[in-house]
Amino acid sequence: MGLLRYTVWRCLQAIPVLVGILTITFFLTNAIPGDPVSIMLGPTPSAEMVEQIQARYGLDRPLHERYFSYLAGVAQGDLGHSIYYDVPVLTKIIERLPVTAYLVFSAFGFALLTAIPLGVISAKRRNEPVDHVSRIVALIGVSTPSFWIGLLLIIVFSFQLGLLPATGLFLPWADPANVRGAATQFDVVVESFKRLLMPMVALGTLQMASITRIERSSMVDSLQNEYVKLARAYGVDERGVIWKHAFKPAQLPVITIVGLGLSTALGGAVLIETVFEINGMGRLIIQAINNQDYPLVMGTTFMLGALYLVGVIITDISYAYIDPRVSYGEK
Amino acid sequence: MSEEPLLKVENLKTQFFTEDGTVRAVDGISFEVYEGELVGLVGESGAGKSVAALSVMRLIDSPGVIVDGEVTFKGKTLVGYEETTGEPGEPPELVEREEMLTEEEMRTQIRGREIAIIFQDPMESLNPVFTVGSQLREFIELNRDLSGTEARAEAVQMLREVGIPEPEKRYEQYPHQFSGGMRQRVLIAMALACEPSLIIADEPTTALDVTVEGQILDLVEELQRKYDTAFVWVTHDMGVVAEICDRVNVMYLGEVIEQANVEELFYDTKHPYTEALLASMPRPDRTTGELNPIRGVMPEAINPPSGCRFHSRCPDAREVCRRVHPDLRAIENGDHDGDENGRVHRAACVKHDAFDVGYPESEPLENEATGGFEVGLTQEGSR
Repeated sequence: MGLLRYTVWRCLQAIPVLVGILTITFFLTNAIPGDPVSIMLGPTPSAEMVEQIQARYGLDRPLHERYFSYLAGVAQGDLGHSIYYDVPVLTKIIERLPVTAYLVFSAFGFALLTAIPLGVISAKRRNEPVDHVSRIVALIGVSTPSFWIGLLLIIVFSFQLGLLPATGLFLPWADPANVRGAATQFDVVVESFKRLLMPMVALGTLQMASITRIERSSMVDSLQNEYVKLARAYGVDERGVIWKHAFKPAQLPVITIVGLGLSTALGGAVLIETVFEINGMGRLIIQAINNQDYPLVMGTTFMLGALYLVGVIITDISYAYIDPRVSYGEK
Repeated sequence: MSEEPLLKVENLKTQFFTEDGTVRAVDGISFEVYEGELVGLVGESGAGKSVAALSVMRLIDSPGVIVDGEVTFKGKTLVGYEETTGEPGEPPELVEREEMLTEEEMRTQIRGREIAIIFQDPMESLNPVFTVGSQLREFIELNRDLSGTEARAEAVQMLREVGIPEPEKRYEQYPHQFSGGMRQRVLIAMALACEPSLIIADEPTTALDVTVEGQILDLVEELQRKYDTAFVWVTHDMGVVAEICDRVNVMYLGEVIEQANVEELFYDTKHPYTEALLASMPRPDRTTGELNPIRGVMPEAINPPSGCRFHSRCPDAREVCRRVHPDLRAIENGDHDGDENGRVHRAACVKHDAFDVGYPESEPLENEATGGFEVGLTQEGSR
């Protein structure tokens, strides 16, 4: 009782937000100067051809009509048809999304696995050398742009040391036939991981640094709590005190930061995919914008918005799961 | 003398090394707790009561350090140093005696198992993200070597014992679903469930309203009789002392200044500070509408006054009080030299014959209490 209903309720609440995202994306995209037709047809097209093309993509209809038919299409799972690629937008997204998801989730995995122990140790050994080092690393991490970290990694590990390939990324379960130099599935997994390392670190560093900072300060607070003293006074060992009694109540702010970090990471993926020439959602958006491919711009932006919303909902639900005081909006 | 005390604290000193100087929060206190006894530790805010209580369990956090003294409990040395050397203002080099328990031994043999604690604020003492039952069960499992299911049954039984209705249901609930009084009952259940020989209660009723306080005190008295557990009860409230304590240690600025059983303390008060503390209690039988506070404020423990630390606020202060620092001595007044258990009434005041330092001839001192100018020792000392 409670948690499930809360989940459903949060998902229902997301619907108006999605409509909002669609609306803003639609009108902003159409406000971009120039239009796809002139790009397709070059600098001096004949008026006849322009009309013909516009009619083909429905661009001759009034804006509000196009808006409502677009909404109706999305409601039925149709994100439109890409002008540039000449395939359904959804097909293109399904083709590109997995690589981006692979990158973003790996980056968060890397960030959490390093940031949580670092933050906790830092809080436990407050003002000792370990703490100073981790705080400086975190400060550098939050203030360095991810694309720059990416470029540095490429210079060091690809050009100087020649250890890792600088470009491209594919999924570990890709078909060995499509991967150059890979004979077995195992080769694909290894190669995929090698290609993942640098973009993952480049994209994850900012997350790692901000999670470390919040984990540290939250644990410092938590360790001073009366209930932590009580646990010590009842003979709980130091590990139990830190990783159970102090840790669990300290995770609420951390979850918030992770949830908010998702939007930064999705934005960061656009840059990282460009730096590492990864054919994911990020590059797709940039290509779509450059080609003024309206349906594709709208579809990809909408998809990222929806993903972010999923992140927010997961954040809210884990909040309710960890903190029994969060009410489920029931009276 | 009678049996060995359960807990013996001798010349305990705990200091906090801060940027502003060394705070001598507990400055050489001695007291005993016998089995099954309820001993009060009384004083104003800042007297060092809570620090003294926590020092016994060695739960003082940095920058606090127990710098000297001896604490023995059931023959075990909880605190005991070979020698202490160091510069003033710096934490001293401490050489622990061989028999002093290690941190690990404190954790596994003493904390929770032999000495349990109840903190002041029941709202903050329970972890908000775990159920009340799971917290209770964890501590019982840890300190009584019971299996999970046995510990659970014991936890529910203890909740019932401390008067929590529907204990089975309450076991599954979180702290925010409990009222302040109910949470304090949970903490009492927690302390008793570990079956310690001594419970340190650090102002456990201060955060509660008066009716709930009364209920909790009744509960503690009843359970204390039933389980025969000794208590150190830290409080600033003489009313609470009168209601539940067997013996009392009155603290002022890091020192115990009077030590007596509760009747003697109330009816045969020996120290002017205790007198002032008693006089400041609001009493329904007194007809004048005014309260009778102790004049002045307690000086800072960074820079305690010379001589008797209370001389700046003492109505009986004389010139000698500024020079001579009285230690805690047995007061002989003919009638008795100790109660039926041989426990002696002690006070640290040169007024008494036990001190022969020339109090009667000394000039009266004008200070905050006698209404004269402010005697400046504390003021001179502070910035």
